[in-house]
Amino acid sequence: MRDFSYLRASSADEARQAALQAGSVLLAGGTTLLDLAKCGVMEPETVIDITYLSGLGGIEVDANGARIGALAKMGEVADHAGIRAAFPAVSESLSLAASAQLRNMATIGGNLLQRTRCSYFREPDVFPACHKRNPGSGCSAMGGITRNHAVLGTSDTCIASYPGDLAVALIAFDAVVELGGRTVSVDDFFLLPGNTPERETVLKRGEMITAITVPASAAARNSTYLKVRDRQSYEFAAASAAVGLEFEADGRTVRDLRVALGGVATKPWRARAVEQALIGTVLSPETVEAASRLAMDGAVSHGANHYKIELAPRVVARAILKVGGLA
Amino acid sequence: MTRTIHLSLDINGRRYDLDVEPRVTLLDALREHLALTGTKKGCDQGQCGACTCHVDGSRVLSCLTLAAQVEGRQITTIEGIAAENGELHPVQAAFVEHDAFQCGYCTPGQIMSAVACIREGHAGSDEEIREYMSGNLCRCGAYNSIVAAVREAAEMA
Amino acid sequence: MTIMEPRKHGDASDGTVGGRQTRFEGNLKVTGGATYALEYPVEGLAYAILVQSTIPAGSVVSVDAKKALAAAGVLMVLTPDDDMGLLVASDWGGNRPENQPYYPLPRQVQYNGQSIAAVVAESREQAVEAARLICITYEKAPHVASFNDTAAGEGKVMDNLTSGWGDAEAALAAAPVQIEGEYSTPREYHVAMEPHGLTVKWDGDQITVWEPSQWSHGMARSYSEWFGIPYENVRLISPFIGGGFGSKGAALAHGAVAAFAARKLGRPVKLALTRPQNFTNYGGRAATRQTIKIGATEDGVLQAIVHRGASETSTYADWPEQTGAATPILYRIENFSSQHRVVPVNTVTPGALRGPGKNPSAFGIESAMEELAYKLGMDPLELRLKNYADRDYQSGKPWSTRRLREALIEGAAAFGWSKRSHEPRSMRDGNQLVGWGIGCGTFPVIQAPSEAMIRILRNGRVEVVSGAIDMGQGTYTILAQTAAEVFGIPVDQVEVHLGDSRLPGSAIAGGSMLAGSILGAVHKAATAARDELIGLALNDEKSPLRDTGANTLTFSGGRIAVPRDRGPSLTLSELMAALGRDEIEIRRNTLPEGATVQEQHQAWTTMAKVQGPTMGEYSMHSWCAHFAEVRVDEDFGTVRVSRIVSAFDCGRLYNPRLVESQWRGGIIMGIGQALLEEGLVDQRNGRTVNNNMGDYLVPTNADVPHIEVISVGIPDYGASALGGKGVGEVGIVGVAPAIANAVFHATGKRVRDLPITLEKLI
Repeated sequence: MRDFSYLRASSADEARQAALQAGSVLLAGGTTLLDLAKCGVMEPETVIDITYLSGLGGIEVDANGARIGALAKMGEVADHAGIRAAFPAVSESLSLAASAQLRNMATIGGNLLQRTRCSYFREPDVFPACHKRNPGSGCSAMGGITRNHAVLGTSDTCIASYPGDLAVALIAFDAVVELGGRTVSVDDFFLLPGNTPERETVLKRGEMITAITVPASAAARNSTYLKVRDRQSYEFAAASAAVGLEFEADGRTVRDLRVALGGVATKPWRARAVEQALIGTVLSPETVEAASRLAMDGAVSHGANHYKIELAPRVVARAILKVGGLA
Repeated sequence: MTRTIHLSLDINGRRYDLDVEPRVTLLDALREHLALTGTKKGCDQGQCGACTCHVDGSRVLSCLTLAAQVEGRQITTIEGIAAENGELHPVQAAFVEHDAFQCGYCTPGQIMSAVACIREGHAGSDEEIREYMSGNLCRCGAYNSIVAAVREAAEMA
Repeated sequence: MTIMEPRKHGDASDGTVGGRQTRFEGNLKVTGGATYALEYPVEGLAYAILVQSTIPAGSVVSVDAKKALAAAGVLMVLTPDDDMGLLVASDWGGNRPENQPYYPLPRQVQYNGQSIAAVVAESREQAVEAARLICITYEKAPHVASFNDTAAGEGKVMDNLTSGWGDAEAALAAAPVQIEGEYSTPREYHVAMEPHGLTVKWDGDQITVWEPSQWSHGMARSYSEWFGIPYENVRLISPFIGGGFGSKGAALAHGAVAAFAARKLGRPVKLALTRPQNFTNYGGRAATRQTIKIGATEDGVLQAIVHRGASETSTYADWPEQTGAATPILYRIENFSSQHRVVPVNTVTPGALRGPGKNPSAFGIESAMEELAYKLGMDPLELRLKNYADRDYQSGKPWSTRRLREALIEGAAAFGWSKRSHEPRSMRDGNQLVGWGIGCGTFPVIQAPSEAMIRILRNGRVEVVSGAIDMGQGTYTILAQTAAEVFGIPVDQVEVHLGDSRLPGSAIAGGSMLAGSILGAVHKAATAARDELIGLALNDEKSPLRDTGANTLTFSGGRIAVPRDRGPSLTLSELMAALGRDEIEIRRNTLPEGATVQEQHQAWTTMAKVQGPTMGEYSMHSWCAHFAEVRVDEDFGTVRVSRIVSAFDCGRLYNPRLVESQWRGGIIMGIGQALLEEGLVDQRNGRTVNNNMGDYLVPTNADVPHIEVISVGIPDYGASALGGKGVGEVGIVGVAPAIANAVFHATGKRVRDLPITLEKLI
């Protein structure tokens, strides 16, 4: 890890000011920053510790929705009774992520900014070519071992998958990120790699995530997060789905459906085609299975990750059937 | 010369003063600067749980925590959980009784994790213990006994 | 905080051999008081970090260390340009080329991740940062990334591993029922929780090495030979070791680098491998593949087995992972043929990893046996019992003990095997397909001479002293139990000192050979010490027991007495005081009488005196049968092991509590092998890309169900002095095929290449 100077911010404004400097980076839970600094991927000159700031934590849930402070810990949110009741998918996405220790450290704001687990991104000395780390240098993943790489939202420059779980649940329920002066939907917060895979979010230098708000909805209240992986625990998703469902008063016709995918795309992935196909219909295992396949529209495999194209729709279908009371 | 900063850390109820570079992790501060080597380094990447200790009562990974980040917070390590007279903490005693370790290298992390797991209320069933202890890898494969030890200690708590 | 009352563990017999004594060093390990290699307080440490190659083959043209040397805190950079003046050390067999220079940082690159340079700095952080500033220029050469590479070729036949009898090809051709399968296992890694590393300190030409070791004497010898110093000048200290599984039995290049750096700097040096470096710096289990053909009669009597296997090795040493190791001895077979090849590729030389040889071998034969069972329409348990080996058909010798039949029968009963439905996909629970499978395992009994010292102290305490290693198998505990039994004292009156090359020599903690070997020496020394004490007590004029007329004494309940209570009784300390003795020290070994000093040195520091399983009149092995239940999600292909029952014949168990832990540990590693573990090698540059614990997956707590283990063994006094057979290795052998067989039973899909990941089932 490169030597850096350490600044303990005494106010959010001081943190933002300091973060305007090139080479400065905010430190919250540290679980991404210190990991990547040790890998040599991130080489900050100044680390601005915001963990001592007050007023950036806290979880509030009311009839309109939830507001989660950026410094709230993943574990704290996962176990919050109000979140569990109003947004089970959000709570589950957090409980199924990382480990209890990491969830006690990592903050909600930091979690959104988690970086990809692409092996080639993480070993710069061995794999110098990486457009995400060093624009224009190439992509080492393509032609390499791609079992964990994305099949959706990829570009010619990057196939690295977004590794997080929480953001998948958040985009399903139209959550919004507060960035101090402005707000942006979580869906728009994340950028597709396109020709600029080094730009992962719309966050600008000197900006800081201050909170996340999630509007309440019947679909969010009846939701789940399903995560499929090789290991039973403590692993990133091979494919995951956040699904929420609301029926019409008849109890069988779909009024609202939310579907988002994780582990398969370059950013948290909303599958609106699946939602549209099923809204207004009465669910059956067959229709759900057929509609779930629409989640893979435009999917491209790069060898070993081909299985995700088959797996992800099955995960979506199971999750829909579960919240629909059919499984 | 690289820059050092002065830190004053509260560990196991004792105050420790040290001068370290800002990049020094809590884990390295404990092991290399303070001779508190009970906290183990297994991966140094947040992937194994061997370095688990408590910060303000909450279990965290000291390998991904800067020493500078925990100034003013209460840090507890494996050296700090037995009674002052040397009597083992119930979780420590249960680990011995159930043979919940072999080589012993993951053990301090397992125990610190287990103490917190019970306190969090995540030791309600064997299935829950398994899930909430999954952040602590054990390559010797003592998992059955770890579950039994945590279950017993939780029942006594 | 609740303070737990100290609890009594069972009864007094727990403290004797065969008792369930809790782990002797347990309190140290649960309090953080056990000190591992990198944790010794050494004044004035400098920190070293290795720089490793990023290409798989070629040579180092130049190393530009200017920036690194200019970086803060940097003391030294070592590169291939530094002639360290070292000599090649002996191999495990004790063979050593004469005066051959040794280059731990070689110019020639033979694999990706080979150590090329080292940076030494005032702090670890400074060394790590400077290491990234080293700029290496390579001349690349063509490479072979794996044995699946077309350039790899067929490899070379290992003549010593070619085996056969009868006429296997003809018998196979004539057999009415035949099956054939190709089975493969990937590169697998030890992933001991404690990474490799060492602290090393010179005092003149004396060197102290604190390094995790499965063999203190063998590794000390390497240091003495590298540096050309007398063996006595090396002290390797390793009382606690954070897991080895085969990886910590030999001194490695990084040890030489650290020791050289320390000597050159005139300061102690600590060198720790990073976790990723633990994947490239030494070899895990080699990737293997094997073809097995079995011929049988229609009622399931084996007629022939033809086996052809191969494993990867490095381009500079032949390490065979013997795919034919279990194949010849599991079943009664009159016609057999086996051949194994090694295929050189650009990898670090593979090494021993739990159950070497037997493990991938059992994956082949035990998968093939179930394939045959399904082809015959026969219960796989019945097929195994029907072809039960009444003797060792390979050596022609009778078994010393072989309770594999009991293991199969008792394991099946505990598992509920009789309730099985034969057809694949015939058991289900919602979305989960349920399957059952069997896998048998075996591991040879290996013995090595060992030495131990017993000291009876004036305060009545008894010390057991040995250079043997405890890496979690329970050496401390069983040695304490042995001494406690011989002297009739409680275990807490015993002290055990281990893990130091200055102490009496011992078998390696590997190949499941340590317990049987060292216990023989400790028992011999303790008995001799007791006899000496009896002699003194009956003859010394100061002894209160002298005039009792007894010709022997009893040692029981902490007291020494005349048989049938016909006189006084004393504690050990009272007797020592009465005799006016400060100490009685006895050293014994299990070498033949009259072994020379050279022979003793050779015995403790090489494998030259190791006895294989068929070197006597019997064929001696441990045996086991695993019964696994899996649940496979039919949509996702995810496999979870929901139940395991395993029955073992490991002879007499010296401490069942600790043995059960080791068995479960082996089984859990087998679960990882079956479902998760695979070194992923990028064919373009030979790099293992999942070189960390987040990407190379080992089982978590949540992956492991309750595992029921059963002992069906009886004492085998041919196998060891106290009747035990090996315990540590056999547990993993047969687990992967049991799981693969259960997956087939659940899904109808036969997966012949490990691990069984979800994409192979959807």
